Formats: sequence, structure tokens, C-alpha cells
Amino acid sequence: MNKANRGWVLESYPVGTDFESALKLRDIAMPEPGPGQMLVRSLYLSLDPANRGWMMMPTYIPQVPLGATMWGFVLGRVERSNLPGFAAGDLVSGFGAWADYCLMGADMTNKLPDLGGLPLYAAQSLFGLSGGTAYVGVVDIAKAKAGEVLVVSGAAGSVGSLVGQIAKIQGCTVIGIAGSPEKCTWLTDELGFDHAIDYRSEDVAARLKALCPKGVDIYFDNVGGPLTNAIASCMALRGRIVLCGSMAKFANPGPELDLGPILLNRVTVQGFILIDHFDRLDAANAALADWAASGKLKHKADIVDGLENTVAAFRMLFTPGAPHMGKLLVRVDPAAL
Amino acid sequence: MAEISRSWVLVQRPVGDDFDSALKLQSLPMPEPGEGQVLVRTLYLSLDPANRGWMAGPTYIPAVPLGMPMWGGIMGKVVESNAPSIKPGDIVGGFGSWSDYCVLPAADVNKIPDMGGLPLSAAQGLFGGAGGTAYVGVIDVGQVKPGQTFVVSGAAGSVGSLAGQIAKIQGARVIGIAGSAEKCAWLTDELGFDHAIDYQRENVRKRLGDLCPNGVDVYFENVGGAVGNAVVANLAKGARVALCGLVSQYNLDGGPVSGLDMLPVLLKGASVQGFILLDYLHRLGEASAKLGQWLAEGKIKYHVDITDGLENALASFKTLFQSGASHKGKMMVRVDSQAN
Repeated sequence: MNKANRGWVLESYPVGTDFESALKLRDIAMPEPGPGQMLVRSLYLSLDPANRGWMMMPTYIPQVPLGATMWGFVLGRVERSNLPGFAAGDLVSGFGAWADYCLMGADMTNKLPDLGGLPLYAAQSLFGLSGGTAYVGVVDIAKAKAGEVLVVSGAAGSVGSLVGQIAKIQGCTVIGIAGSPEKCTWLTDELGFDHAIDYRSEDVAARLKALCPKGVDIYFDNVGGPLTNAIASCMALRGRIVLCGSMAKFANPGPELDLGPILLNRVTVQGFILIDHFDRLDAANAALADWAASGKLKHKADIVDGLENTVAAFRMLFTPGAPHMGKLLVRVDPAAL
Repeated sequence: MAEISRSWVLVQRPVGDDFDSALKLQSLPMPEPGEGQVLVRTLYLSLDPANRGWMAGPTYIPAVPLGMPMWGGIMGKVVESNAPSIKPGDIVGGFGSWSDYCVLPAADVNKIPDMGGLPLSAAQGLFGGAGGTAYVGVIDVGQVKPGQTFVVSGAAGSVGSLAGQIAKIQGARVIGIAGSAEKCAWLTDELGFDHAIDYQRENVRKRLGDLCPNGVDVYFENVGGAVGNAVVANLAKGARVALCGLVSQYNLDGGPVSGLDMLPVLLKGASVQGFILLDYLHRLGEASAKLGQWLAEGKIKYHVDITDGLENALASFKTLFQSGASHKGKMMVRVDSQAN
């Protein structure tokens, strides 16, 4: 085929949030799918704080090598497939690259669930990794129960905004922590959170102690860093802290958690990554679809148009108080719904 | 009977590691047991890092009140009893104070059983809180399995030295972290640990990386700080951290704490579980039975580090927080020179 392909090439490792110097949009060759691979036309790119970690060090995958087209999760349409079970025209969500066209293999690639009439982007904003992470995190890891108090940070993000709503559905009292008055208003007025705290202008620990005299049962941590101690000092006896993300640690690296309160209150701190729970995605998608259809769960996609705007959009994830809310996506194909 | 009982009185809350200003040995009138209470002549006093937290503020128990004798675990001989179940002459253990004589509620003391030829000190050195904590920490919280890699810090202390041996009995590969060459040699040569790392002289993170290419499955945390981070940087997937103590942090008084980096815990899907023995008192029977069995089978050793004289309790206590100090095993004060 003679289609052109552009991709964001990782030409140096980013220093701080200077992604513009590290990632360059280049004309790149159209990749050729080998055995077990597919060529996928990108419809949407998912932008995730974890992407930054991938550039910085080996995590649960190798570090992104210099010269590679930046890795990322992509919602796309199969152009050509050498992967059994997938055919040209299939809609897929999987581990691809920040490009017009990318390769996907069997690993971490799924056909889309039944969207039940929802627009295509719901595959990322409701289902997909964000919904799966939120569901597994609340139901399997935190085991949230009716009557418990759940606090979630990064509450206006793709995972956090679903976590709080799922916890509400479980019967919890839900408090979200976010970085602007607008985000906090969205949480309480639109998503049904009981309370929201703006960490940039309020004293989080003081506010939590006033709101939760019996302490916090579950802290769903999407950010790590300085907030963690403030909330750890508010945990109830035998509370649980679920470690899901650490995007605040990029700006505040290093040891953050005073273990004193963890010991005194016999708190459990549990890390998890969704990759270890892929067997739960079907159950998660079914529940999420059901809740969305019955109006108990709202999902939001914050869509930036144009592959060329990817890096500017990505930078918002690490800008406290930036306006994005919900699932940050880049619409690569202007025709995508 | 004597009319005076000496006590280490908590005259002010400790600031940092200044215990000399906080605790003063005073001569007080002999205490009188009230209804349902017993008067005990202290034989042995247990000294534990956790004592420091009790002095400073409320923990899982209220703070030691200012102006009162400092609290501590004791074993003693009953002198007077206002409870029918306890008789003068009984040897009991309980939550008393750093004193020549203690008054305790009869309901809160336990009779020390026949030690079967072992010295009385074994009741604290092996069977008491240290043994119970080590047992529960390894079995219930750490849940160590055969073939796993088990790391314990504060490994030459009362809890750590038992925890490592219990993990070995469970079939784990055991690495202890301690603060001197002598302590490390004790761990490997006497207690059967597979390896020991001297945190004062070695790069713990790197050494563990070399010794554990597949990572650490269970970490029994007694110290926190730099050592804790060095171990957590080497966790295996799904690892369990049994959070028992943080002795390197206790004297930091709310100043900048050396916390734990949570990113490795996240990336490895690992867990950190805080626990205290008070939540596991129902397990003490099994713990004591197992420890006794293992002792008889020669599978476990314990060491008591005994200081003579109540007047020397404070000097001894301070060494608990000194890296590389020479004490090992269960630190105790022999208050009654006749105690065995």
C-alpha cells in the first residue's frame, strides 16, 4: 500500500516534563506484520501516566528503546492480519504505538467488547484498561463493602472517575481528590461522589479528619508521592491502601510513605497491575456495560484531535490543575466516532 | 518486706534519643494491691524498641502517663494476692513497669508454666512476646512457603533471630540483615541463616540483588529506613512484607521520616501488612507449643542478653537504638539478683 505513516519517535529520554525534546513526529515506514502480528490503523491513542514510566525505566515491560516509535495502547482497525482469530476490519484494542499505523501481536491485544450502542471511544473511556483497572481495583483488590469510606486520588482521571462511581455502586461513601475546583465540582455534581477535595488549595489531612471521624477504610492511590502520607495518617484500623498509579512521583521521586501509621493501624498496602488480572476483563466489561446502561455509571472521554497534538496532550497529564477530565484520548483518524 | 520500690519514672516525653532526660530512677513507696490485684516482686524486665513509642504518645495502647513508672513486660513472683486464682509464690508474667515491685490486675497476668528444666528467662527469650511475634509474623502474615527467599532485618534482635530460624524450619532460604560482623557471624554460624548482610559495611541493595536474582518473596521488616528500601527494591512478584517494627525511625520524633518508596510495591503487585501481636493473642498457644517442640528438637536456638540490676535498665535500653551495639537476642534486665 502507499499510505503514509507518521509516528512519534523516542529520540532521547525525557528530562522532567520536556517531552517535546524527547519525542519527535516523524514520517516513518509502514511496518510489515510478521507471523502472529497485525497491521492496525490507529483510530484513537490512549494516553496514560504509565507511558512516562515506560520511557524512564524497565517496569513490567522493558524500557522503551531510543529510536522506537513510542509505545502505547491503541484503539484501532485491523488492516492486515497474520494473527489467527483477527481479520481485516476487526476493531481491536491493544499494545501498539503512537503512530497512524502500528503493529500489534497477541500479547495484550483484545477484540472490543459489545459496546451496546455506545460510541467507539467508550472502548477506552468505559471499557478497556481504565474500566478494567477500576473494576478490579475496587472489587477484587480493595474488596469495597457497603458502608465503608473510600478515598480516591487522581479522582478526575480515567481510572479515578470510574473507581469512585464503582465504589458508590458498592455502597461506599466516596471522597475524591483532584486538582481544581472544576474537577471537584464534576465529581460531586456529575458523578455522584459524596465529597471532593482540591489538593492544591486545601489541607487534605485536615479535611479528611473532619469528613471521616472514624477514619478512611480504603485509599485508592492513583498518584503516590506527597499525598500518600497525608492520607495514611487518616486510615481506619485495618484499612487498605490500593496502589494503582504513581503519577505524582515523577515530580517527587523517592521514598514517600511513613510506615508508622501503617504499623499502628495494621493497614494493608497492596500494589496491583491490571496485566496480572486480565482473566477478569470479561466480568469487568459485563458489569461496566450493565452499570452504564442503567445510568449508574458515567464515562467521559477527553478527546484531542490529531496525532500531531499527542505530545502537547500527554503533557497535560503531568500538569497539576490542567483541564482534562476522564479518559484522555488522541483521535488519530478524523473519521473515528 | 521492703517499704521502698524503685521505679524508672517517665518524667517527660523523650525528645529524639534523649532518654536520660525522660526517665529517672526514683524511690517510691511500696505499691499496695487493690481489689482483684496482685503485688509482684519483679524478677525480669523485658526491654523492647516498642517501649519508645509508648513513652511518646498513644499507639495501639494509651501513652504512658507522665509522672508514672514506665511500662514494660515483666516476669515476677507474687508477693501478695487479692485474687483467689493467684497465690503468693506463683511465678507470673504480665504488663508491669520498670520497677522493683509491680501491682497488676490478676485478670491480666498469666502464670508461667513449669519451664521443664529451662531457665525462667526462656519464658521471655523464646516463649513470650518475641517468640509469639516471630511465629505469627512468619506463619500468619508472611505466609512463607518452602523454597521461597525470606529476608529479615534487625535479624540479631529478639524477634528477628527467631523469625529467621522459623522461616528456615518452613523450608525457606533465609537472609538476615544486622549491624555488625559479629552479629552476622552469629546468624550464619550459630542460627543457621543461609546468608547475613552487615548493613553498616555493605551495600544491602546490591548484595541482595546478587544473592536473590529472582527477588525476595517475604520480607520481615523490623527496621524501616534505608534498609527497608534496599530490600523493597529487590521484591519478587507478589511479595509479602510483614511490617513488624521500624526501629530505625522511632527516635525521629515527627521530623522528616525516612519513608518507604512504594513504587516497587506497586510494580511487583506486592503487599505490606502492618501487624501487632495483640491482634494474634489467640495464636500464642500454638506458637509456644511449636517453639518448645523445635527447641527440644534442636531446630531453634534463642539468646537472652541479660543486664543485672534495675539501675542499669536505662543504659541497656539506649543500646537498642545504637547501630552495631553488641547486644543480641532478647534484651532483659534481671531485677532480682536471685532470678535464674
